[in-house]
Amino acid sequence: MTPDRSPLERLDFAVEALVFASDAPLRAEDVARAVGEVTGADVAPEGVAASVERLNAEYDGTDRAFRIVAFGGGYRMATVEAAAPFLRVLFAQTDERRLSRSLLETLAVVAYKQPVTKPEVDHVRGVGSDYALRSLLEKDLVALAGRSETVGRPLLYGTTERFLDLFGLGTLDELPRPREIDELLADPRFARERADLLAQLDPPPDAPPEPA
Amino acid sequence: MTADFRVSLDQFEGPLDLLLFFVRRDELDIHDIPIARIADEYLAAVRAIDALALDLDAAADFLYTAALLLQIKTRMLMPRPETDADGEPVDPRRELVDRLLEYVRYKEAAAELAVRFEARQRLFPRGQAADERERYTEPVETTIRVTLFDLVSALSATLARAAAAEPDRHTVEREAYALDVQRAYVLSRLAAGACSFARLVAGEGRAFVITTFLAVLDLAQRQAVRVVFGTDPDDFALALAEPA
Repeated sequence: MTPDRSPLERLDFAVEALVFASDAPLRAEDVARAVGEVTGADVAPEGVAASVERLNAEYDGTDRAFRIVAFGGGYRMATVEAAAPFLRVLFAQTDERRLSRSLLETLAVVAYKQPVTKPEVDHVRGVGSDYALRSLLEKDLVALAGRSETVGRPLLYGTTERFLDLFGLGTLDELPRPREIDELLADPRFARERADLLAQLDPPPDAPPEPA
Repeated sequence: MTADFRVSLDQFEGPLDLLLFFVRRDELDIHDIPIARIADEYLAAVRAIDALALDLDAAADFLYTAALLLQIKTRMLMPRPETDADGEPVDPRRELVDRLLEYVRYKEAAAELAVRFEARQRLFPRGQAADERERYTEPVETTIRVTLFDLVSALSATLARAAAAEPDRHTVEREAYALDVQRAYVLSRLAAGACSFARLVAGEGRAFVITTFLAVLDLAQRQAVRVVFGTDPDDFALALAEPA
């Protein structure tokens, strides 16, 4: 290290190096510990977060193709959205990862109501969620989160870090706040969706059935 | 409007989704649903279940709500309104409406999550490719990854050896080996210690090898023996499974 770096610059330097070298999400505490061990300075995780912000501002200013992101509670470098077309060519396999409507619906119920039991999920959706829950468990988007204290001690489900990662969330607090009903019903999109549904579902009598 | 109206139930996530569709289509006030009309439409749609190859679970969910709707419709027809413990009139639709409203919120939340999911897929973190590879590779406890094909190719190699040891004779015989006998044979040999499959059938004919192989597969499936692959692709080792 060159001796003329200020303590802040030294921190940024170290944070950038650590995040760059790690291909798994790196927790702020771990970064702080590593920096503290080398420099002897007392670094708080908040200091790391501030450093990440400074680094990202710098990448922004110089139009870099990547930023430091904090999905699933850890820092990682990720390419920016504008670079996606290039990356898709070589890493197209990620497009296979689509989630069906029933999986998304089930996931939403688990995410917002967690920890939640299967009967509760079933009740909200009005359908059995066995298959969807099993499938989400397999994809490691949902995990068992203990047992409820209610009668029969049913299993509780919650979301995983992988869920946060794949949905670009740092913590569960960053989940988009569900909108209030009246707001939803007044939304013009509501009417548009209705029109879409009608177009989809009221084919002329002779039209061939839509492929599933 | 219902006469030529056709609904494919597959397009709905469940009975609530279907009900919600009627509410939206007819621009109904969700807080004041004309229950008789909705119940009729709903039943008409659900009758299509018979014609559809829906799975039983899904059909049960739709039928349950059909029964609920009929029950509400009946209660609405009662001459005197129902009252709760405090004597306040109760709207029989109340519970259904609450559930519909809750469902709308989660449906909306699911749509928002889908948007986030797609946006997130446009960002490529470092190490993602490696991460993906790992996730889709089956975890294997042994150091060498083997498949059924390895097992079968080991069998064919052993069979080739057996064929070489067997003089060319063309007589038709009854099967001389039985699966349960070979099972007992494998277990008794392994009781004396781990053994490779080739050694287990050394010097024996095809029928013996095949029956013994089947016995091994059977024992492996019962988890009575452990199959271990080494570096020799033409053979594998067998050992008695340790009691769990």
